[in-house]
Amino acid sequence: MSVTPKPAGGVGMDWTSMGLALLLMLAIIGIGWYMFGMTNIFYALLAIIVGGALIGFGVHFVPVGGAPAAMGQAPGIATGVAMLAGGAGLAGLFGGAWAADLGLGVACAAGAVGGALMMAITCMFVNVIYVYAMGIPAASGKAKVDPITGDTQTEFKSQGTEGHGLPFVSFVGGVVGGFLGGLGGTLIYWVLLKWVYVDRLLSSALGAPLTADVTPIAVSLAGMFAIGLFLVNAVLAAYNITGTIEGPHDPKFARWPRAVVATAVASAVCGIVAIAIVAV
Amino acid sequence: MTVKIEVIEGGIPHDQLMIAGLVGSLVFLYLSYINVMANTQLASFFGGLAAVCALLWGSNTIKVLCSYGIGTGVPSAGMLALGSGVIAMLLATRYGLWAPVVAVVLAAVIGAILGFLANNVLMMKIPVMIRSITEMAVIGALSLMGFSAMAAGSFDFTQMSAATTSFLGMEMTSYGNSYMGLTIIAVSFFLAAIAIQHPFNATLGPSWKQDRMLWLAAECGFLSMLAVSVMSFAFLSMEAAALSLAISIAGWAYTYYRYIMLSKRDAAFWLDAKPILEPEGH
Repeated sequence: MSVTPKPAGGVGMDWTSMGLALLLMLAIIGIGWYMFGMTNIFYALLAIIVGGALIGFGVHFVPVGGAPAAMGQAPGIATGVAMLAGGAGLAGLFGGAWAADLGLGVACAAGAVGGALMMAITCMFVNVIYVYAMGIPAASGKAKVDPITGDTQTEFKSQGTEGHGLPFVSFVGGVVGGFLGGLGGTLIYWVLLKWVYVDRLLSSALGAPLTADVTPIAVSLAGMFAIGLFLVNAVLAAYNITGTIEGPHDPKFARWPRAVVATAVASAVCGIVAIAIVAV
Repeated sequence: MTVKIEVIEGGIPHDQLMIAGLVGSLVFLYLSYINVMANTQLASFFGGLAAVCALLWGSNTIKVLCSYGIGTGVPSAGMLALGSGVIAMLLATRYGLWAPVVAVVLAAVIGAILGFLANNVLMMKIPVMIRSITEMAVIGALSLMGFSAMAAGSFDFTQMSAATTSFLGMEMTSYGNSYMGLTIIAVSFFLAAIAIQHPFNATLGPSWKQDRMLWLAAECGFLSMLAVSVMSFAFLSMEAAALSLAISIAGWAYTYYRYIMLSKRDAAFWLDAKPILEPEGH
C-alpha cells in the first residue's frame, strides 16, 4: 500500500442531488404533518431535523487528526471522527439525560456543556501529551497566523509535516464542536422522550398504563434512537470532511453546507422511523 | 473519483457471501421463533448464530467499501451500519412474526437514502458507496435483532420489553427489568459494532487474505455472542442461557483456533515463545 488516496471532494456542490435530497426531506415533513397534524409529535420531527443538522455542523469544528496526528505529523486529536464525535456527543447526551426532567432548556444546556467539557478535557490532555511528553510545539499547517490569538505558526512548523499539536483555534473549535454535538444529541433525546414516547408509546405499544415501572422502556427507546441518529449524523459529517480537519480555520470547513443538508435529510428519514414506532 | 487501493484476489465472491449471509441470518432468526411456537426458551441461541451470519457478510462488505480509502477509518463504517440498523430494527420489532423481513426492507430503504446522501450530496463519488451502505444498514439491523432475540428470547417488541418474574409463586410482569427496560440493547449495539468493524481493521494490509478475515469475523461474532449469552441469564431460564453459553464457547474456541492457524500460515515468522518462568523463593 504505497499510496493512500482519499476522496477529493472539494468545496463544490451537486445541486441536483441536493435538490432531490431536500425534496425528500420536505416530503417526509409532509408525511409527518399528515399523520400527526400540528401536535407535539410533528414538532418533535422538526426538532430531530434541527438536532441532526446541529450535530453535522458541530463535527466540522472538532480538530480530528487521525493516524498522522498520532505520529505528530498533522495537527489535531489523534483519533477518528467517529470516536471523537461519539465520545463528545454521548458524554453530552448522558449529561442532558440526567437533566431531562428539568425541562427542555436545562436539559439542552446540560447536554451542550457536557459535550463541550468532554472536548475541553480531551483537547487539554492532547496538548499536555504533545508538549510535555512528545516535545512537540503546537503549530497549525493551514493558517499562517492563529485567527484568535494572532500567534504566528509557520516558525514552529517542522519541515515535512502538515503542522502538529493543537493550536488555540483548534482547541476552541473542539469545544464549540462538543457544545453543538451535545446540544443536538440532547435535543433529539429530549423531544423523543417527552413529546413522543411518554405520551404515546406506553398506551399504543405496550397497552400498559404509564407508571414508574414502564418509564424505563421509553427512556431506553429514546436513548437508543438518539445514539443511532447521533452516529449516523456524525459519520456522514466525517465523510464530508474526508477524515481529518484542523478546526474552523481549515479550508475544508467551507464544506459545511453540504453536511448540514445531508444530516438534516438523514435525520428526517431516521426521525420519521423513530416516531413511527408509536403509530404502527 | 477515487482510486481503488486494494484488489480483492481469489476467495469467495462478494455476491455469494451476501446471499449466504442474508439467507442464513433470516433462517436462523426464524429458527429462534421456535421459542414462541413451542413455548420454550431453548431455541434462543439461534439468534446469536443469525448475528454471526450477518457479521460474516458485514466484514466482507466493509472490505469492499473501505478498499476505496474513505479516509475516516474502518470503525466509522461499523458505527454507521449499527446506527442506521438499530433505527430500522426497533421499528421492525413491532411487526411480530414479520419483524426480520420488515427489518431487512426498512434498513435497505434507510441505507439506500444514506448512501445517496454520502455519495451524491457529500460528493464521495465512490462506485460501491450506495450499495455498501445499504448492505451495512441491513447487516446492522439483522445482527442487532439476532443478539436481541438471543438475550430476550424473542424479537418481538412486547416480549423484549416485559420480563416475567415469579415471586412467591405469583407471576409478575415487570417492564423495568426487561431487555429494553434495562437498556441491555445498548450493550448489544456496541458488541455488534465492535464485531463488525474489527475483522477488516485487524487484517487489512498487503497480506490481507479473505479466509483469515472471515474466520476472524466468525470469532468476533462468537465472542460477542458469548457476552450476550451471559447477559441472557437475566432474562431466560437457566437451561436456555446455559445452552447459549455452551454453544458460544464452543464456537468461539473453534473459530479462534482456525484463525490462529491461518495467522500462523500468513505470518512471515512465528515464534512459539513461552512466558519467562519466575524462579520460586526469591
